[in-house]
Order: sequence, then structure tokens, then C-alpha cells
Amino acid sequence: MKRKFLSPPVLLLLPAMIIIAAVVLVPLLLSLYTSFTPFKLTRPDTLYRWIGVRNYMRLFEDYYFWAAFLRTFVVLTIALNVEMLLGLGLAVLVNKAVSGQRALRTIMMFPMMFSPILVGFQFKFMFNDTVGLVNNALQSMGMERVIPWLVDEHLALFSILTAEIWSSTSVFAILILAGLMAIPRDPLEAARVDGCTPWQTFRHITLPYLMPFMFIAMTIRSLDIARAYDIVQIMTAGGPARRTELLWTMISRSGYVDANMGLANAMAYISILLSIFFTFYFFRKLMAARRYMGGAQ
Amino acid sequence: MMVSHGTRKIYLKWCRWIGTFLAMSAICIPGLWIVLSSFRPNVEILAKPAVWIPQDLNFDHYAAIFSSDPGQGAVPVWSYFQNSLIIATTSTLIALLIGMAGGYAFARYSFKGKDTMFLGFMLSRTVPGIALSLPLFMVYARLGIIDTDFGMILIYVALNLPFTIWLIDGFFRQVPQELNQAAQIDGCTPWQAFWLVEFPLAKSGIASAGIFAFLTSWNEFALASQLTRSTASKTLPVGLLDFTSEFTINWGGMCALAVIMIVPALLLTFIVQKHLVAGLTFGGVKG
Amino acid sequence: MATVTLEKVVKRYGPIDVVHGIDLEIGHGEFVVLVGPSGCGKSTTLRMIAGLEEISGGAVKIGENIVNDLPPRDRNVSMVFQNYALYPHMTVAENLGFSLKIAKRSKDDIEKRVAEAAAILGLGDLMERLPGQLSGGQRQRVAMGRAIVRHPDVFLFDEPLSNLDAKLRTQMRTEIKKLHQKVKTTVIYVTHDQIEAMTLADRIVIMRGGHIVQVGTPMDIFHNPANLFVAQFIGSPPMNLAEGIVGSNGKLTLANGDVLTLAPDMAARVPEGTAVTLGVRAEDLAIDGHGRIGSHISTIKAAVNLTEPLGNESLVFFEYGGSEWVTRMFNPRDIAPGETITLHVNMESIHLFDKTTEKRL
Repeated sequence: MKRKFLSPPVLLLLPAMIIIAAVVLVPLLLSLYTSFTPFKLTRPDTLYRWIGVRNYMRLFEDYYFWAAFLRTFVVLTIALNVEMLLGLGLAVLVNKAVSGQRALRTIMMFPMMFSPILVGFQFKFMFNDTVGLVNNALQSMGMERVIPWLVDEHLALFSILTAEIWSSTSVFAILILAGLMAIPRDPLEAARVDGCTPWQTFRHITLPYLMPFMFIAMTIRSLDIARAYDIVQIMTAGGPARRTELLWTMISRSGYVDANMGLANAMAYISILLSIFFTFYFFRKLMAARRYMGGAQ
Repeated sequence: MMVSHGTRKIYLKWCRWIGTFLAMSAICIPGLWIVLSSFRPNVEILAKPAVWIPQDLNFDHYAAIFSSDPGQGAVPVWSYFQNSLIIATTSTLIALLIGMAGGYAFARYSFKGKDTMFLGFMLSRTVPGIALSLPLFMVYARLGIIDTDFGMILIYVALNLPFTIWLIDGFFRQVPQELNQAAQIDGCTPWQAFWLVEFPLAKSGIASAGIFAFLTSWNEFALASQLTRSTASKTLPVGLLDFTSEFTINWGGMCALAVIMIVPALLLTFIVQKHLVAGLTFGGVKG
Repeated sequence: MATVTLEKVVKRYGPIDVVHGIDLEIGHGEFVVLVGPSGCGKSTTLRMIAGLEEISGGAVKIGENIVNDLPPRDRNVSMVFQNYALYPHMTVAENLGFSLKIAKRSKDDIEKRVAEAAAILGLGDLMERLPGQLSGGQRQRVAMGRAIVRHPDVFLFDEPLSNLDAKLRTQMRTEIKKLHQKVKTTVIYVTHDQIEAMTLADRIVIMRGGHIVQVGTPMDIFHNPANLFVAQFIGSPPMNLAEGIVGSNGKLTLANGDVLTLAPDMAARVPEGTAVTLGVRAEDLAIDGHGRIGSHISTIKAAVNLTEPLGNESLVFFEYGGSEWVTRMFNPRDIAPGETITLHVNMESIHLFDKTTEKRL
């Protein structure tokens, strides 16, 4: 006798649903609850004291929190935009290359294999004020002073952005290149026959065609946008004097260093919403671009 | 401005060539510098003014980090390496199995709430590691699985599933559904049709999804840094921090460890680069 | 070999019926073609026989057994798909032998039967190639070979020729017919191309909107279409139509005022005052001076729009009764557009359809 409690697709998806529920969903519910308590790791009984939204209120009045939040938002926006532009440029360059395209593509994938923690270390090493490659090179070219790349607030953010952009531009470049190589020749040739300049062709034919690919790249990137934590953690750990603090380093500090779990969880929730916002935004764009391209692919 | 067409073309060609060269240098130099430094003695790394032409290349840093003598500032790299390998491999295999089932369901069936579920999986992936680590830390502490391989494997399976499902969904969609039907008419059970026809055709794609998952686990830091404590489960990315103490950093040792981390990743990525891009774009664009 | 019987077969997707309870009996070794416009339910019917679609109602019998709940593998049918569905990772030989391997036949047996199928279809030189290295026609042959190695009870073809170019399609059509004459297995063949249906079928089943409209031999359907739809669907070029009313003493008055004289038996059959659609095939018209047809003839005049010379004959298009008609002109001469021609209508082979029910009268 055949009894169907569950349809085949549900049955097939069940293990995935269970694991994700156990490792992500349930803990998130727990952290949501914790964010309404003054829970400190050192005092377990505090887990059961309900304090309502006091953690959130405290955050909203905290200058450092707002500074970190804003910094995170700005850093992400700059990083994503620069990565996309550089990625587009790189993809176009490689696409135009007549010979050695395979080798170029392989090199282009290079940074993707670097774990963010390695990227952070690598640039910490390069931007180190005494032994770093950058200062060494500048000094060899005759510069007298020592530039404090990772100590000065603005320079440190610049260094962090450099590391972040170095590590993620290739995601854009590779996906956009895949798009460039998949463009059918007919519309391009039709545009040429219709009298478009190379720039017009790029602007009106190539670019719209690439949009879905850019949004895939954006969506993929926004999935693990919080990887920036690894980079910052090893490069400056939010310092000096919390001037490169991002939301995520702040969470880690108040959760594990100060053992202030309730507050950290409240912050974590805000960071989760930020991530979801980014992903959702690009996912929607991707869907729209896909509809726009219609059956063209 | 009477530049002839031909001159301009040559000029443009040179610009492109220089641009490509600069971009490739920017990509390669940081990594190469690390590799180079891992073979240089500390005196040379720290030298002032900088020594540009390496005078002395050796394996001292590698020897030091693998040596068992704690006096040398040795780090238990070997056990970190083992932990990383065990955790990444196991979690990848499990994620592949579960991801294959899920990806197949998304590729072959239409059911209610399919898009919502897909989006839900994706959103679960967006939760920042550090944010997720807080409640997991509490749960794991209560369950007593902090600082165990099992705990990390479980996390990485969950972390890798959404993306694995996305990729595998795309690869199964490239296999025409008619092949499954042809196989069933040829006498296969649905199970046989899957393993004899659909799986062989999607397997290179599935392998690349696996390597992608492996790399994610291999490289993950935010969760591992909080949920591993000792040589029992600490992974290489966490181990990297062992080289930094309050005031000094063992640059040479870190570079050597970095090289050890990057080599497997390099090899694996080169193997799958083609499928990976195909999978990402296919799954994303064709929907 | 087996008979196939459909009894009140229904296919439902949610609240929508796509096949509305059809009945059909297919005999041993018969070549039956299901034909109709896209969306008429012909492919769905075929896939229900194959077991690829669940049957929502009624029964499908292969031989004496009801197969409704049998999975495809237990029905002993084989199928040629529109896109061939060859296994891309297997060689031609492996593709051919796959079903036998699954059935755990002995190696010798597999080799023997694969060789036999390869010989029938002339695949000898291609055995070690992968499907990707084959041309469209070769793939088509392999797909058929895969179907015949199993010695199935029934062959199912799902628009197998629609991906081939015109020339190859004609050639493969002949091969399919020869193949059937050789293996004499029951064939159910789905197509939207009426020429394929006419040339291949022992019996044609015309479907529309999930219903069977008419079943019959090609000749029967061509000469006695059940209704206007069948009349328009079968035959090339399509039947010429004009509206009219049957008057007294066997006169047919058309909308443009022309009066034609019906053949006596038809005049007796159709009651006076019936509003009808007149259907005339191109073959039943002759341009004055270019061939003679029948003994009951009415004559009409019309202005030529266009001629399409085909060599030994020309297709002549002209405006008549508010629509464009076409006829064949043998021993063609040049006709200028706009020239008025005189045409003879063979009144014995015209068709009259009731204007409201569209049934043939």
C-alpha cells in the first residue's frame, strides 16, 4: 500500500530544512529572546530576566553604535560600487585580450581563493608601517616619513577598503566576463550596422545584457557581506580606539570580550536586518533584470 | 586633432595592454609577496632599509611551525591542518548529499511556496557569522559541543547548504527532463534513472559545488574563532592568530601558514573554475 | 505486439481538463497517428499511454491489461522523443543497449540485438560515437534504434521529426514507414503536421481541444472530413471556403451573389434554406483551358492576386467570396495579377458544412 504523507519534493528538501532550522533558525529565535534580557555569560541567571527593549534603547543612544552602523553602511556601499566598476573594467579588458585569455581568467580568480582572514593578514603585512611592502617601496623611492597606514583613522579605513576590494572584485569580474562571453553577436552587429559608435553599442546593447550578471554577482556578494568582519578583525580589530569599528567587530567585542550577550544579540539582530536588506534588495533587482531580459537567453 | 584611425587603434591597444598588466599585477603581487616572505629569514623581512633582492631563501619558517618544540614559538599547525581537513571534508560531503536532494527537488518539481523557500534558504546564508555565533555559542555550551569537530561540521553543513542547493539546482536544470523519462521508459526505476542518467551528467557540476563548499569551510573564520578553543577543533584560519601576541607578530611564520592554507584552495579552484562560473550564471539567469 | 485501448481517458491539471474522456481502439501492428494543432491534448494522451503522465480518469489498456497504475518501465513500450533524448554520456552502442542492460540481459543477447537494430537503421559505423558527434538525422536513427532493440509491444513517437530540416524530414518519414513495415509493431505517432499524418498512418486520429474529432484512414478523412475543422486541417493547400445558402432546386447562392448548381445527390441531402459554408479543394477547381474535372460543373469568375510557379504546375491565388482561394494550374501559362480567369468547380466533390454546427452535410 502506498501512503503519501509528504510529496517527493518536500521529502527531498526535508533534511536541508531540518539542518538549517536547527543551526540557523532556532538559534536566531534564541538570540532574539536573549536580546530582550540583560544576559551576561558570567551570570547565567540573567538569562531569565526580561527587560523589554532596553538593550535596543541603549544602542540607539550609544554614539559608538551609530558610528559603527554608519561606518558599516558607508564601507559596504563604497566597496560594492567600486568592486562592481573595477570588475566591469577588468572583465572588459580581459574580454578584449586577444591571446592568453585563459591564463588571464585564471589569474583573475586568484583572490577568490583567499580566505578573508588571509586577505586581512596579507594587507596587514603590506600596510605595516615598519616592515610593510607599501612603506618600504615608498621609502625606497625617497620618502622620508613613515605613513601610519593602520593607525590613522582615515588611512586605516582606506587600507581596509583596499583589502576588501582586492578580495571581492574578482567575483564581479568573473561573472561579468561570463556575461560578456555569452552575448550573442547578432545584436552587436545589428547595432554596428545601424551606425552606433563603440560606446553607444556598449551603453545600449552590452550593458543591459550584462545587468542580470551584475546582479547575480551583487546577490552572491551580499550573501556573505559580513566576511568583512574577518578582514577588519585581523587588520585593526576595530581599533585604534574603535575608529575602524564595524557593526560586526562591535558585536564580537561586546559579546565575547565584555561578555555582554544580551546587548550583543540586540546588535546582532540589527546587523542581520542590514544583511537581509542588502541581499533582498539585490535579489529583487536580479529578478527584475531577469524578467526584463525575458526569453532572450 | 588629426589622429588617423590606425594610430588611434594602436594607441588604444597599448592602453588596454598596460591596463591589463597593471590590474594583473595588483592581483598577483600581494600573494606573491607573502609566498616570497615565507621563504625569507626574519632579518631580511624586518631589515631597514628594505632588502628588495632576496639574499637567502630557506624553509626555516616551515620547519619552525611544524616543529614540536614550543620554545621556538611553534604553533600546533599539524593538528590545525588535520582539524581543517576533517571538518571541511566531512561537512562538504554531507552538504553535497543533502544539497543534491534539495537541488533536485528545486530543479525538477514545482510545488507551492517554492520561490519563498528558495529565498528563505538564501536569507539563512546572509546571517553574519559573528551574529550567528552568539546564540550558537550559548546552545553549544549547553550541549557541550563547543570545541568539537562535530559542532563545526554541523555549522558548516548548514552554512553551505543554501549555496550548494543553488548551484546543484542549476546543474540539474541543464540536464533535460526527457532523459529521465527516456530512462524510465527504457526500464529504469526513478532511482536508477537518477543515478545512471541524470547524476552522471550533472556530476562535474556537483563536484564543483562540492569544492566551493569545501573552500567556504576551509576559509571560514568568524564562527570558528568563537566556537573552537583548543587543538581539539581549532582550524587553520583561527590558528593564524596564534602568531600574533600582544606586542610582536611572527611575520615569517604567518606567511608560511598562509601559504599552507592557500595551496589546497588554489589547486581545487583551478580544477573547477569552468563549472563554477557556468553554474552560478545558469542558476541565476535562467531561474 | 499488442492492442492499445483507451476507455474514457481523462487528464486533469487541477481544475482544468486537457483531455476529455477519449475512447480509442488501436489494433495489432497498426500505425495510428494522433494529429491536431498544438494544445489539443495529443502529446498528453501519448504520455499517458507511456506512463509519463498520471491518468486522471478512465482506463488505458495495453493488450488485455489495464496499465493505469503501472510505471513506464513495466509497460513494455518504447518511445522516440521530440529532442531524441539520447543519453549524452553514452556511445551509440551504449544508448542502444541501455534498456537491455537495465533488464539484465546477457551480454551476448545485448550485442546481438544491438547489432540487429544497428543493421536495420544503418548505424554500423557510428556505434562508438557519442550523440554530440552525430548529425540530426543520425540522432533520429539512434533514437529509433533504441526503441526497437527492446522489441516493445508498442512504439510511441512524440513529434520525432519536428527538429529536422524539410528535406531530412521527408527522408526520415520514409524510413519510419519502412521500419514499420519491417518490424510490424503497433505504432502510436503524434504530430502536428498533417502531411506526416497522411503519409504514415494506417489510421489518423484528429484531436482538438482535448476531444477526438474524427478517426479514419487518410483517404477517408481527406474525402469525407467530419466537419469544417478537419476539412481545413487536412490537405495542402488548405480547402477554399465561402459562405452561402442552399436555395430551391439544388441551387447554392453564395454571399457574393454567384449561384452554383449542386450535384443531384447533394441537393437531395441538404434541405432548402440551410446556411452553409462551401468547401472546395484546390484540386476540384480547374482554370478554363487547363484540364477538365468531373461532369457536374459550375463556372465562376475571379481576379488573380498572385501565381506561384512550381514547374509542372502553378498555384494560382485569387479573391473569391471575400476570402483568398487557391487552385492548381497544370501546363501553366503566365497570368498577370489582376487578370480575370474563368474556373470550373467540380460540384461532385465539393463539401458543404452547416454554418452553425460546422458539421459536414
